Amino acid sequence: MKTALVKKTSTGTNGKRAKGLFTSFWNEFKRYKYGMVGVVLLLMFILVVILEPLILPFPEAGSRWRDITYWQDNPDNAAPAWTNWFTAKDKTPQQTLKPVNLVEQNEPGLSFVDGEIPYNYQYDDPPTDIAFRAMVQGDVSFIVSLVRPDGTELPLFDTHTASSVPSDFRVSLNSATIDNVFEFVRGYEDPSVTAVYNRRTMNVMNVLFAKAQPGMLYNPEPMKGQYTFKVTSVTIGAGEITDARMEVAGKVFGIMGTDSAKRDIWSGLVCGTKWALLIGITTSLVSVVIGVTYGVVSSFFGGIVDTVMMRIHEVVYNMPLLPIIIVMSAVFKPNLWTMIILMCLFFWTGSVRTVRSMGLQIKEETYIEAARALNASNSRIIFKHMLPQLIPYSFASMALAVPGAILYESTISLLGLGDATIVTWGQILQDASNGSAVLQGLWWWVVPPGILMGLMGMTFAFIGFAMDTILNPKLRTR
Amino acid sequence: MSDYILDVKNLRKLFPVRRSMKQMIKKERNFVHAIDGVSFNVKRGEIFGLIGESGCGKTTTGKVVMHLLESTEGQLILNGDDVTKLDKKALGVYRRNVQMIFQDPYASMNPRFTIRRVLLEPLEIHNVGATQEEREAMIVKALESVKLTPAEEFLDRYPHMLSGGQRQRVATARTLILNPKIVVADEPVSMVDLSTRAELLQMMKDVQQEMGLTYIYITHDLSTARYFTDRIAVMYLGRIVELANADDLIDHAKHPYTKALIAAVCEPVSGKVNHIKEVPIEGEIPSAAHIPSGCRFHPRCIYAQPDCATEPEPELQSDANGHLVACRHWNDLKRK
Repeated sequence: MKTALVKKTSTGTNGKRAKGLFTSFWNEFKRYKYGMVGVVLLLMFILVVILEPLILPFPEAGSRWRDITYWQDNPDNAAPAWTNWFTAKDKTPQQTLKPVNLVEQNEPGLSFVDGEIPYNYQYDDPPTDIAFRAMVQGDVSFIVSLVRPDGTELPLFDTHTASSVPSDFRVSLNSATIDNVFEFVRGYEDPSVTAVYNRRTMNVMNVLFAKAQPGMLYNPEPMKGQYTFKVTSVTIGAGEITDARMEVAGKVFGIMGTDSAKRDIWSGLVCGTKWALLIGITTSLVSVVIGVTYGVVSSFFGGIVDTVMMRIHEVVYNMPLLPIIIVMSAVFKPNLWTMIILMCLFFWTGSVRTVRSMGLQIKEETYIEAARALNASNSRIIFKHMLPQLIPYSFASMALAVPGAILYESTISLLGLGDATIVTWGQILQDASNGSAVLQGLWWWVVPPGILMGLMGMTFAFIGFAMDTILNPKLRTR
Repeated sequence: MSDYILDVKNLRKLFPVRRSMKQMIKKERNFVHAIDGVSFNVKRGEIFGLIGESGCGKTTTGKVVMHLLESTEGQLILNGDDVTKLDKKALGVYRRNVQMIFQDPYASMNPRFTIRRVLLEPLEIHNVGATQEEREAMIVKALESVKLTPAEEFLDRYPHMLSGGQRQRVATARTLILNPKIVVADEPVSMVDLSTRAELLQMMKDVQQEMGLTYIYITHDLSTARYFTDRIAVMYLGRIVELANADDLIDHAKHPYTKALIAAVCEPVSGKVNHIKEVPIEGEIPSAAHIPSGCRFHPRCIYAQPDCATEPEPELQSDANGHLVACRHWNDLKRK
């Protein structure tokens, strides 16, 4: 240790010394396990933000969170896919099926494309819906049928669309195949059953994936095996079909399931990470910097300055933030930045009292008097002697302000005053509360955003405590 | 240029006492008379001792001299210039010339600063030294002058990693780095181990001779004062009661208070260990807010005469050798 110090001195220059200081700080920091846990968590959050485009299953989730057409192929209220590991009956997961064996036939003015979309069904609980989707241009008809593992071929639907520009084409099997499926069922079920389970009450998916036998309407037995959708397209004149596929909207979905509006919660959580970091860090940083400076200045000058500053602080401190934000969002459009600014305008009061009392104590230290005897200016005493002492406390209160800011944002969202152009964890929770997720047992909608908020708070608390231990020389164990 | 580097004339420092509502209505004002008319001269290159028990105003005097407190009344003259009231710029110059060493070496340095930063601070404030290298050299030189060697080894340490004596050396180096003319040393060794006191004082003396410094040494400890100082002023309740050469004062004390102080010094002499001394003084030091009438020492003086309480306060009067004493009856005491 000693030789290292001497070496550092002999190299001399300022930059190297700063680097050396950082290295020694880091070496010290590494010794605190909880500090490292905090750093690892923070790095994970940052990694999520950086890798967002790669890990986001729905690339436009952030910008089209409230666009229901963007989510329409998903099941609603679906549990995470991994819940199948813990249940006896496997539920169908979300899947996208691609066509194979395309055969194209051209005749003057007409073109036929035959394709097969295979589906290996190995589940106990059929999907909620299957949607046939394609980008279509021109005058096109589709004829779709299903070949089941038992060899029966069941015509599903035939439909026609015309569009001069490439446009989204979507057919939901649940609604488009009712008549054909009901005809198919009638061949097996007793009329007394089909009188009850009629076109409107039967579940298309249950029938499609059930063994063809009496009772398939009210007690379907899943038929596992290889299903094949046969798709034939007929194009009159020039036209183009791209990206034809079957979207199986399962009963379980992705990493975190979906909410009642069919939105992928995982995408929402990933998109919300950057906003949580932004709101939390910006608000806590700005408000703690203001608060600490305010408290130090107040305690340092004392007397009438202190009295006036404390009265101002008390007025702001006792102002209820919520009604003000409600009024402000009536005046301005609710926007992330106005929200952050408003929170900063009120959050800075949190640390003032403590900082002031710490400042009053530091002010009386002999080394402050010694600095004064050296003719140190007021700003020098405040910024070089007093503020650095408060850095550990500042970090701790910043760490505490981070979850506070995130929660406040969600409170504001809960009142419907959030920024509608983004998705935040608070808004996900707010939707969950509106959709009575807890009453319906949709835990995947409530627990993950809650855990993430807790983790985010923990991250900063751990880092803050570790820094406190290191930066406070009296707690040093060197 | 006169012999005297610092001239303190009739210095007074009053602190207002917090008033009750009744007193506010009556417009009564009470003051603590921390310093109540102190005059002394400090010769160029001497070590001037200021002695007294706690609460007698010796530290306040030091702080007023440092301009850490503003005097209520009186005059400070440094090198013939009136420095009682100073504007910001003049204060900067003044504080380069007059420096202070504080009592508590544990508290007088920012615990977050390395020794390098502690010593860099005066240089930054007074803009001394053009480059980092130059400043670094000055810091090393200052550390070497207070016998902290090898200096490089101390630069990156924190104050809490040093012993009390080492810290006080660093504090001394901090005052010396600006080449001051006067150093006010406020009990610099009272919180240092007995074993290192003499060493520390010797170092301070060496530095003084090397740099031609003048010290104002504030203490309550007569033994180090005699060892260290050239002249001693004894303070009691905000006033100087006796002022003389160090040896003269201690060997031939004239004021009853000085006599009591000398008698109170503990001596580690065999045979006297279990002997509880009878100190020739009565009672406790009165509150500085309610100074007794007449001679302020009379309630505690065992030689007090009736006129001590009624006659006005005795001024410092000189004997043939320039030994100053503020007692009406000092001549009679000698005969007793």
